[in-house]
Amino acid sequence: MAENSENSGMSAPSAGAAPAGAAPASAAEVEAAREARRAAIMAERASRRAARAATETAPAGQGDAAIASNAADAPATAPAAVAAPTVAAGLQAPGIAAAPAPTAAPSLSELAMPKNFRIIGKSQPKVDGMPKINGTARFTDDMKLPRMLIGKTLRSPHAHARIVRIDTTRAEALPGVLCVITGKDIPTKYGIIPVAQDETALALDKVRYVGDPVACVAALDEETAYNALKLIQVEYEILPTVMTIEDALEGKVLIHEQNKTGNVLKNVQQSFGEVDALLADSEVVVEDDYYYEGNTHVPLETHSALASWDHEGRLELWSSTQVPHYLQRELAKVLGVPQSRVRVVKPHFGAGYGGKSEPFSLEFCAAFMARKTGRPVKITYTREEVFYAHRGRHPAKMWLKLGARKDGTLTALDFKCWLDGGGYASFGVVTTYYTGVFHSLPYNLPAFRWDTTRLYTNKPPCGPKRGHGAIQPRFAFEIALDQLAEKLGMDPAELRRKNFISPGHKTVNDFQVTSCGMKEAMEKVLVESQYFEKKGKLPRGKGIGVACSAYICGAGQPIYANDMPHSTVNVKLDRSGCATIFSGSADIGQGSNIMLAMIVAEILGIQVADCKVIEADTDLTPVDLGSYSSRVTFMVGNAARNAAEQLRIKLLQATADHLRVPVEEIEQVGQEMRYRKDPTRKIPFQRAIHEAEARFGGLIASGTYKPPRLSTRLGGRGAGPSPAYTFTAQVAEVSVDEETGLIEVERIWCAHDCGRALNPVVVEGQIEGSVYMGFGEAIFEAQRYYKNGLMTTPSILEYKLPTIHDTPEIKVFYIETLDPNGPFGAKEAGEGPQLPTAPVVANAVFDAIGVRFKSNPMTPDVVLKALEGRTTRKNMRMA
Amino acid sequence: MLKLPEFQFHRPSTVEGVLELLTRHGSNARIVAGGTDLLPSMKQRLFTPDHLVSLRGIETLRQIEISPDGGLTLGATVTLRELTLHPEVQRLYPALASAAGQIATVIIQGMGTLGGNILLDTRCYYYNQGEFWREALGKCMKADGTICQVARNSPSCLAAFSADTVPALLVYGAVVRLVGPSGTRAVPLSELYQDDGMRWLKLLPGEILTEVILPPPPSGLEARYDKLRVRQSIDYPLVGVAIGLVRDQAGTVEQARVILNAVSSMPESVPQAALLLGQPLTDEGIEAVAQAAYTQVKPLTTHGVQPIYRKKMVKLTVRKALQGLMMKGMPGQAV
Repeated sequence: MAENSENSGMSAPSAGAAPAGAAPASAAEVEAAREARRAAIMAERASRRAARAATETAPAGQGDAAIASNAADAPATAPAAVAAPTVAAGLQAPGIAAAPAPTAAPSLSELAMPKNFRIIGKSQPKVDGMPKINGTARFTDDMKLPRMLIGKTLRSPHAHARIVRIDTTRAEALPGVLCVITGKDIPTKYGIIPVAQDETALALDKVRYVGDPVACVAALDEETAYNALKLIQVEYEILPTVMTIEDALEGKVLIHEQNKTGNVLKNVQQSFGEVDALLADSEVVVEDDYYYEGNTHVPLETHSALASWDHEGRLELWSSTQVPHYLQRELAKVLGVPQSRVRVVKPHFGAGYGGKSEPFSLEFCAAFMARKTGRPVKITYTREEVFYAHRGRHPAKMWLKLGARKDGTLTALDFKCWLDGGGYASFGVVTTYYTGVFHSLPYNLPAFRWDTTRLYTNKPPCGPKRGHGAIQPRFAFEIALDQLAEKLGMDPAELRRKNFISPGHKTVNDFQVTSCGMKEAMEKVLVESQYFEKKGKLPRGKGIGVACSAYICGAGQPIYANDMPHSTVNVKLDRSGCATIFSGSADIGQGSNIMLAMIVAEILGIQVADCKVIEADTDLTPVDLGSYSSRVTFMVGNAARNAAEQLRIKLLQATADHLRVPVEEIEQVGQEMRYRKDPTRKIPFQRAIHEAEARFGGLIASGTYKPPRLSTRLGGRGAGPSPAYTFTAQVAEVSVDEETGLIEVERIWCAHDCGRALNPVVVEGQIEGSVYMGFGEAIFEAQRYYKNGLMTTPSILEYKLPTIHDTPEIKVFYIETLDPNGPFGAKEAGEGPQLPTAPVVANAVFDAIGVRFKSNPMTPDVVLKALEGRTTRKNMRMA
Repeated sequence: MLKLPEFQFHRPSTVEGVLELLTRHGSNARIVAGGTDLLPSMKQRLFTPDHLVSLRGIETLRQIEISPDGGLTLGATVTLRELTLHPEVQRLYPALASAAGQIATVIIQGMGTLGGNILLDTRCYYYNQGEFWREALGKCMKADGTICQVARNSPSCLAAFSADTVPALLVYGAVVRLVGPSGTRAVPLSELYQDDGMRWLKLLPGEILTEVILPPPPSGLEARYDKLRVRQSIDYPLVGVAIGLVRDQAGTVEQARVILNAVSSMPESVPQAALLLGQPLTDEGIEAVAQAAYTQVKPLTTHGVQPIYRKKMVKLTVRKALQGLMMKGMPGQAV
């Protein structure tokens, strides 16, 4: 493979310490200077350790220490064939850690890894939990700076129009108004995906959806800014609108005239295996159409940004963002200042779910107006504006053809999808890939083809929402599986069980699975729900269904091409025994800060309370790519582990030197570091820190993570290949009121393979949240528009998020497969568990009332209509 | 949501003080009690009064008193939560306690008041929206526009009446005390409303509602309020149905009231409820009344759910409510 050289270079900064794909030779070169001392320590024990590693086997289910030490050497649970250390570095199975050559510097993990976990695996409250509950958390909108102005955005009332003229003079003359800007003030295009940057902070020449930002005002207070908006006169030349997938495809009206492919932002077609032949030979085939409705995130905290420039021309921007690093880059570009002069800070954060994963108009406008006025400017979106800013789930029209043999073995899939993307690209290119590539998991699918087209329409832009792009096709596929089971006369659960992949599986589209708890997850929910006892025996109107899925732990590639680490974490161990953890990752409520504190505390031998996390501040924290793609626990967790291990080694070494015993024989018991063979030879832990600092200087370490080189055979390699995959199974029990059409989802059992639950309470929360969101999409939520492009329900009264009273009882189970590459074996839990929820509800509803819903949401009027249709059809047959 | 527009807040401690402020500021002032409907509407810039006059400073309006005749007198600023939990309200007027408990959420019930609910602004999909939204769609006649977005050729506003306590109060024969510049009057609640989304209250200028007088329930009265909504909390009714039946010892229906909510701009009585009179409840009688209610109502797209669905649900909800009373058997009898 041509990637050999690149591959070995990629893992350099993490050397043997990185659990993923390190190539020791080049790592040593890169790290030579900085890590000389450490290497020396290592070298003297290399041969002994290598010998031990060679004799160690790696069965699953060993004690923590064994699994942990295996983490960097070989997969703990994957079959030997996959983990075979004979695979050459450049050809190594993607996603599997390269086994270090026996002569190389050994893993830090071995020495640093605690033998018994004190902290990992035990529930810890989130760092930001209490402040959010008692009201002391300071969100961006809570911040006030001296002389601060408030900004407001004028939005287009038209879905598609040319801006003929904008007159801001009356607004500027309003007392209290300090600044009015329009598109020509900030004309540089931006966008989260470098190949599809089609947005400006304010519309330049055209508006493309109702709510498209047109002008922005900064004034002494919100009311004045709001009143000033009404004084801005915009002359529009109204254009015909493109409101449907069909209109967009027809292409009579173009939304981005300069786009070479008309209203098509992206079309991707991929084919693997002999799809047509296998489908032709299939004994049973399901062919059908499906539709997944658009919906949106509705984070409790609305978007907010506060910008301030200092006297040296440096920008500070506090923003409710999931991606401080990408935002810093785009701000620098659009504002025309070096990145070194832009500081982005994410304060306390009131949820995002993907809806804050890219730069937004308000961030540029606040920064620009702050520079222009010389005063801080804050802009906070209203709830209504958040619905227009959107970036939610793409509405998806889907068609598929799925084949199987008589015994239920899946043969091939043909899949087509059209995405109604809205006025701008957002993450649309990635969404396009995500609708197609995941069909090969979690079932063994020998061949499949997919063809997705992401279109521009005159609606607020769609983007990434929890389960990005994978939710819609999973809905279609899992319902199709039930249709297939019906045709085969098989139980839907049996059909699924028959086709599950196993650990170490490589998909037909080259995804390398490492750990996989799919079967265990399925068994768990089937047993817990008493599925087989209930199936077919529930009274009329009650039903039970099943669905499964797989998801990624971060993307193999960053959003902009580069070979740098995806995540770096710095840890500083203070003489007082406290550790400060610096991470560019954004805790968006998912609990990443407590995750960092737990990992560092566990390895260093200190308490969680002795850790302080400084996060998401581009001046203080090393780069992390951001909170998206379910990457944070996996990637940032690995980087944190790596950093903490380096410090732990120094503590051990300093202790060993002080006690004059071999470093391997040092153990920590409580607050003491002891010589294992003679516990009277000991020093207090605090003393070990002081010895280490005396010997090595300031105790600061930088750990990194970068995924191993994953499949490059395919286009869009950033989308799909992941260092690990998670697996989810769900069973739902519903009851349908056949008179009102109201569906009550009574219970959902969800078992999720998260590798290891580092912090069980947070994992459970993530799973519950995912199920909640999925069930809301299944029966309540819809982001819809009038013909003129106006969103019908931009309020949380009329946009029907489920309330606690509507929410089913959620039974959470996590399956621990101890992934070889995850930190302590952990994988994601924040998105994957949502994937099966919408189809599991649809499948249970079918079991309850015999109506096959292939679109969502299943609102009562839709259900009632379908029930009446069923009656009519039955009557017609009888007649 | 936008922040509230600026206004001056008044909190007089007497009814006279309120009337005086209303006289002084005229249409530039609005009454606020719990504020749970008014304040969101002000944030949406449906109203921008310069003065808000609070009733919360008047202690006498916060009381629930047993009347000499055995009924109850409820102050206008009794909260919905108090109404739900009050033992005498639960005992004498269970449908009212139930209706109040079905409004919005428990937290909102703790702020929202009985008087506020009785005088609740009519609601519409096209009206209860922010200013930008209303301008983008074209303003409706209830909010500075000229047309009705529900039915463009309608000469009058079609916004829906949605106050959940009112159908229950009507079943119990409530009377409201209104106090204005020209004096005090007691008006049967049924005479307070008219079917016009913009002028649904027959209040005189400067008049405020101070209390609700509930006569003692006749013996043999059974009542209930059923509310259909998409979510089991927060939502306004898609359909609401209050039923009141007076039956004698033999089970013969002597009085029958069926009041519908959220299907037009006022609480709508079903006159065909009279079909139930003079005989015990029967499935046939129930079906006839349910069908009559179905035929009578013309729900419109004032809600996010299709009107035809709501029309069907009127029939279903009436039928189920009546069946519920039939199943429950006779008053005084063991169930």
